Amino acid sequence: MMIHNQNGEAIISCENVSKRYGAFVALRNVSLDVARGEVVCIVGPSGGGKSTFLRTINGLESIDGGTICFDGITIPGPPRNVRLIRREVGMVFQAFNLFPHMTIRKNLILAPVRARGISYAEANEKAERLLRRVGIGDQIDKYPDQLSGGQQQRVAIARALAMEPKVMLFDEPTSALDPEMVKEVLEVVRELAASGMTMIIVTHEIGFAREISSRMVFMMDGSVVVDERPEEFFSGAPEPRLKSFLSKVL
Amino acid sequence: MISFDVSEVIRSLPELWIGLEFTLILVFTSLGLGTLIGLLACLGRLLGNGLLPWFCAAYTTIFRGIPEVVLMFWIYYCGPLLGGVRPSSLIAALVAMSLYVGALLSEVFRGGILAVPKGQVEAARSLGVPEFWVWTSVILPQAFRVVIPALIGVAALTVKVSGIASTIGVTDLVYQANIIAGQSYRYFELFTAVGIFYFFILFPMSMLAKVYERKLAMRSR
Repeated sequence: MMIHNQNGEAIISCENVSKRYGAFVALRNVSLDVARGEVVCIVGPSGGGKSTFLRTINGLESIDGGTICFDGITIPGPPRNVRLIRREVGMVFQAFNLFPHMTIRKNLILAPVRARGISYAEANEKAERLLRRVGIGDQIDKYPDQLSGGQQQRVAIARALAMEPKVMLFDEPTSALDPEMVKEVLEVVRELAASGMTMIIVTHEIGFAREISSRMVFMMDGSVVVDERPEEFFSGAPEPRLKSFLSKVL
Repeated sequence: MISFDVSEVIRSLPELWIGLEFTLILVFTSLGLGTLIGLLACLGRLLGNGLLPWFCAAYTTIFRGIPEVVLMFWIYYCGPLLGGVRPSSLIAALVAMSLYVGALLSEVFRGGILAVPKGQVEAARSLGVPEFWVWTSVILPQAFRVVIPALIGVAALTVKVSGIASTIGVTDLVYQANIIAGQSYRYFELFTAVGIFYFFILFPMSMLAKVYERKLAMRSR
């Protein structure tokens, strides 16, 4: 396994993370550090543990072994650690998971008010600002099902950003979208990357990953197989399993 | 020859009105208490640990599985043997109906909560929203929408089942009609009137359910 040298302080540090479902090993000793400002894209075949790994970082999946350290907070640890991490880590899901019974405005206001304790007025102002930033300021009082898939996913990104996270996790953010809507979502992700946001992105959009990532990770059968800068990841590719994967998707 | 004497019904209206009052007391009290019991039993089953979920499941299964009339008789006649005090017929009926409605509603609520997609809870948790608000802002409002038609169904069932309370002496609609008819032998008139009374309690409920189902169907287009 190749491990890319870090030059910068790690905000996320995963060591030997493992996860089992019964007899099935979903993650085997996954170690990965992410420095502030890095954009790490994780690619690989389905069922290889990419999403599971992403979900262990904010405690949506418990782990059976190893440690995850986020900005000085560790898992496993006291129960409150998971919530402390979740407040600082935003997540965007494949299926958007907007709250269908709330307007877009309320979707963005819920967490800052209930988890951060900021005032409604402040949260409201922030919601309006963020929605303008992702290009849907005029839809703020609609319900999620009145929006297109691309718009919904942009709302989901804004909702995560409303918590002012230190890191954003993307779990196949464009996989559930119609092709013509992929671009508008990737545009928002690209803009976030340019703004210096630390991100981990699980994606099947290899071309996009290559363009915005500072590091590429190839996962398969629950292990990190390759962890490289994009140039080496695509040019060298001496790892046969990566070669085989890339030949199928490129 | 059958004759229908409306004046007999009109003469009995004050007594029937008392019956209606008791019927409504039975229905609304047992629906209120049943909602509370149902919610507690459902949350105990979903969130509790140790023996609590088992206990709540047992309660639901047992009380859903006993005919309401047996439950009412049991509490009315066996209550004194266990507790030493004889409950009044109204109290016994209310306890029996509340326990019965609670068992029905706990399953309705549980179904509604389990119908909320897992992704909803994950999204709320991933935002760091505290568990209390995950439940009150995300899970329960969505679960409630799903269960409204079933809730109306349980309410209608409660109205129908309340008539059984007459068998232990609660002076509800059925009891009053039975007493009056027993004196005048005007069963035809009185039980037709009682049927109409019940219909006018139940009809708005089924209309409400229809309206709501249509609304739901439109939204999930």
